Amino acid sequence: MTTLLEHSRIALASLRANWFRAALTALGVVIGVASLVAVTAVSAGAQKEVADSIRRLGGNVIKVDGEFITVGIRQSATDRTITPQDIAALSQLPAVTATSPHQAIESIVVSAGRNQANTWLEGITPTYSDVQNQTVVRGRLISGADVSFGRSVMVVGLDAEQRLFPGESAIGRTVRVGSQEFEVVGVQARRGALADENLDNRIFVPLPIVTRVLLGGTNVVHVDLRVETEADIEPTIGAIEDLLREQHKLPDSYPDDFSAEDQARIIREAQRATTTFRVLTFSLGGIALLVGGIGIMNMMLVSVQERFREIGIRKSVGATPWKVQMQFLIEALFLSVLGGIAGVLAGIGATRLIGVFAGWQTIVSVPSLILAFSVSFAIGIFFGYYPARRAARLDPIAALRYE
Amino acid sequence: MSRDAVPAVIELADVTKVFRSGEVSVEALRGVSFAVREREFVAIMGPSGSGKTTLLGILGCLDRPTEGSYKLVGQEMSALDETRRARVRGERIGFVFQAHNLIPRTTAYKNVELPLVYAGVPSAERRGRVLQALASVGLAERVDHLPNQLSGGEQQRVGIARALVVEPSVILADEPTGNLDSASAEELLTILGRLNEEGATIVLVTHSSEVAEHASRIIRFADGLVVADESTERVRSAAPLGAVG
Repeated sequence: MTTLLEHSRIALASLRANWFRAALTALGVVIGVASLVAVTAVSAGAQKEVADSIRRLGGNVIKVDGEFITVGIRQSATDRTITPQDIAALSQLPAVTATSPHQAIESIVVSAGRNQANTWLEGITPTYSDVQNQTVVRGRLISGADVSFGRSVMVVGLDAEQRLFPGESAIGRTVRVGSQEFEVVGVQARRGALADENLDNRIFVPLPIVTRVLLGGTNVVHVDLRVETEADIEPTIGAIEDLLREQHKLPDSYPDDFSAEDQARIIREAQRATTTFRVLTFSLGGIALLVGGIGIMNMMLVSVQERFREIGIRKSVGATPWKVQMQFLIEALFLSVLGGIAGVLAGIGATRLIGVFAGWQTIVSVPSLILAFSVSFAIGIFFGYYPARRAARLDPIAALRYE
Repeated sequence: MSRDAVPAVIELADVTKVFRSGEVSVEALRGVSFAVREREFVAIMGPSGSGKTTLLGILGCLDRPTEGSYKLVGQEMSALDETRRARVRGERIGFVFQAHNLIPRTTAYKNVELPLVYAGVPSAERRGRVLQALASVGLAERVDHLPNQLSGGEQQRVGIARALVVEPSVILADEPTGNLDSASAEELLTILGRLNEEGATIVLVTHSSEVAEHASRIIRFADGLVVADESTERVRSAAPLGAVG
C-alpha cells in the first residue's frame, strides 16, 4: 500500500510537470465521457417523457383518423369518412368504454383584444376529457349542455392563455375566432406534448360549433376510443377496421380510408426518430473515447521514451519490473480517470444546457455516472498497459546509458 | 590479520560475457576471477573497451554473466531473474553513476528515500535514515533542493547518500568524478575514503590513475581480462619503474 501511494505521488508529480500536455491528452477522454453522460441523460429523460405522456394522456386509447375524400378537385375538411353513424356504430363495439369524436382546425389565428395567437382549435364533446385525461386548473370543462345548446364557450391551454392574456387569467374573458366570439370558461391543466404537438397551445370549443358553424358539415376527422384494458387494443383495432370498411362499403381492392392506431404507440414511435440520433451520438462518444485512449497510449509511450534514464535509475535502486509497470500504469490511470471526472462534470453541464435550450427532459442517473467512470478507468488500464510494460521490460543497462 | 580471514563480499570465478548482435559476437569479458573482501576500496582501471563497464554491470546485478559464477556475500547471482536481481540491487548494492544520477524534478530527500521505498522500509523509519545519509555527505541543509538547484558535486554527493542509505554490502561507483571539477572531485573522493574507513566496501571504476590512487587496491583490465591486481602501496613503489594508468 505504501508503494501504491508512493507511485500515485510519483505519477501525479510527473503529470504536473507536463500538465498542459496531460490536459490535451485527457481531452479525448473528457469529450467521450461527457457525451456518454449527456446522451444517457437525454435518453433516460426521453424514456421518462414517453412514460409520462402515456400516463398523462391516458392509456388504452385508440385514435381513429379519417382521411380526405376527394370529389373532383374540391375537398373540404369535413369531407371525412367518419360520420355520425360511424361514431354510433364504433361506440357499440365490445370493450369500448368511451367514444370521443373531435375535429380540429390545426392552425388558426385567434385574438383577445390586441393579442393574437396562432393556435390549434379543437371541437370536442364532454367524453374528450374522459378519454384524454383532460382536466382544468381553473374554471370548468366543456359540458354536455355546451354541446347541445351550441354555446360559444371555450377552454384554453395554459400556453394559449399566456399568449392571449399575458400574466392574466383568461376566465370570463372573450376570445375571437374569425367573426365568432367565445367566452373562456376553463383553463386546461398542463398536458405536455403528443409526439411533436404541444397540447397546451390548444383551445377547445363545443364540437358542433367547429363542424357546423366554422366548417359547415357533420363529419369529423378524429375519434378517440377508450377500451377497457391494454389487451383489448389489438382486437378492437381489428374490429374497427372491419366495421368501418363495412360502413363505408369499401370493395376489397380499395385501401382503408381511415387509420386506427394505439395512442401509446404513436408516442413511442415519435421517440424512435430521436433514438436514432441518440445512438449516433452515443457511438461518436465511443469513438472519442477510443481516440482519447490512443492519445493516452501515445503520450505514455513518449513519456517512457523520455524517461529511459529515470527508469534506469529506479531499476538500479531496487525497482522491480512490476513496480515500474505499476508506476506507469497508475500514471495512465490518473490521466484517464481525471479525464473521466472532468468528462462527468462536463457531461452534467452539457445535459443542463440541453435541458435549458432544447427543453428536453433529462435524467442524470448515478449508475450512468459510475458506468462512465468505470469506462474511463478501463481505458486507462487498457491503453496504459502496453507503455507500462515497455518501461518494465527495459534493460537497466541500456536505460542507464540513454542520454 | 591476514586478508583471507576477512569474508568476501564479491567472488567472481571465470566470468565471461559475450554480446551477440546478429552474426557478430563480441567477447567483453574472457574469464575474469577475483574476490573483493569486506572494507576493501578497489579501483578497476583500464582503457575504454577493456570490459570494465561490463564488469560493473555484472557486479551491480544489472546484467548476468554469459558463463561463470558471481557470488555476492556468498549468494550466487548469475542465475537470478530480473525481479530478484532488482531486490538485490535495492538492498545490497549502492550505485553512484558518472552523471545524471538523480531523478529530475524530485528533491534530494525524495531521491535518497527512493531505495528505501522500493525496499518497503516503513515511512516512519525512512525519514531518520534519509536525513542521516544526507548529513554524512554534508548536505543536511540541501534536503529540499531539486537536482537543478544543486551543483554537480552536490548532485554526486546526493547520489552517494542514496547509495549509502540502504547500508549496502558494496558501493559501486562508475567514474563518479568524471563530470566534476578537480576541487569537487577531490571532495567526493575524500568522502568515499572516509566511508571506506568507516567500514564501507567500495568498488570504483575509473580510467584516471589519480582517482585510482585513493583506493587500497587496483585491478587493471585489458581486452576483457585482469592484467594486474595489486595493492596501492605496491603500485606506488612500482611507479618509478613506469607503471601507466
